[in-house]
Amino acid sequence: MTEMRADQHLRLDEQLLLFMDQLEALEEKRQKLNSLIEEGWFSIAKTRYSMGNKQVSALQYASEMEPLVHVEASLLEGGTAEFKCERRKNKTEELKNNTVEDIGAKETGLRRRINTKQKGVKEEEEETDPQVKTTAESSTPEHREPLKWFGILVPQSLKQAQSAFKEVITLSAEIASLQSEILATRKEMQAQVKEKQEKTKTQPEIKEE
Amino acid sequence: MTGRGKLIAVIGDEDTCTGFLLGGIGELNKNRKPNFLVVEKDTSITEIEETFKSFLARSDIGIILINQFIAEMIRHAIDAHMQSIPAVLEIPSKEHPYDASKDSILRRAKGMFSAEDFR
Repeated sequence: MTEMRADQHLRLDEQLLLFMDQLEALEEKRQKLNSLIEEGWFSIAKTRYSMGNKQVSALQYASEMEPLVHVEASLLEGGTAEFKCERRKNKTEELKNNTVEDIGAKETGLRRRINTKQKGVKEEEEETDPQVKTTAESSTPEHREPLKWFGILVPQSLKQAQSAFKEVITLSAEIASLQSEILATRKEMQAQVKEKQEKTKTQPEIKEE
Repeated sequence: MTGRGKLIAVIGDEDTCTGFLLGGIGELNKNRKPNFLVVEKDTSITEIEETFKSFLARSDIGIILINQFIAEMIRHAIDAHMQSIPAVLEIPSKEHPYDASKDSILRRAKGMFSAEDFR
């Protein structure tokens, strides 16, 4: 009986330590999220300063939008939910990779500065060759890239805002998973404490017998 | 139970929504309702609450991001949400920094710890 109680206490201690670790991790991620969001807002404010107040607002939103990022949600044992962020690859850049070789000889004035296959998402590609642009547009609608809602040539600050918010989105998925874990740990601890209290109550009865 | 390819919804002020839409979470087409709500000064609490409840009812939304000051307006609705999916994440806004003591999830996690629990 004493061994059982000791095991129970040990389990409760382990749960408590896990709970504290999770809270600490959450606090850390929260701080990072908050600072990234603030960075994003600051960049948006800088963009507004350079482009004009009305140029960066809800009025610029496209009439049709397609999500470029999805979250894979899975329910684990114990009711914990796990979230993983998945960003769709920009099909436009893959097309560009293919079409560049075809039309390279036909290019008139614009030089292609960007190395296509090595680099990641490149919004600039869409600004250069109109021939490539039309090929891309026929298969990938223009409304896919949110930066384009604000104009063809957007300031660097808007791109910085976009990258800050992209990181925020990834971090949000991690925080959501952690929150779910914390609630599950708390529930488990409450159950163990209740079990312990019940056993403590029955024990005096056993002694009396 | 796995749900693949769920969306991230956002209920926030203009800058918050603009930022997240720039990040690529927005969905807007004539077939479905948008997965975001821009809350302005004249947006009613009823509208916010209805939008929040509609997001909860949708099976294709995994995470709901909401500015904390807006969450305060519909605190009762957020506290009533007990399911793991969709997850509700409270985020700060420009005028209202994040306050952990107001967060529904953290308040639930804090619970009532007493010395009795650890005896």
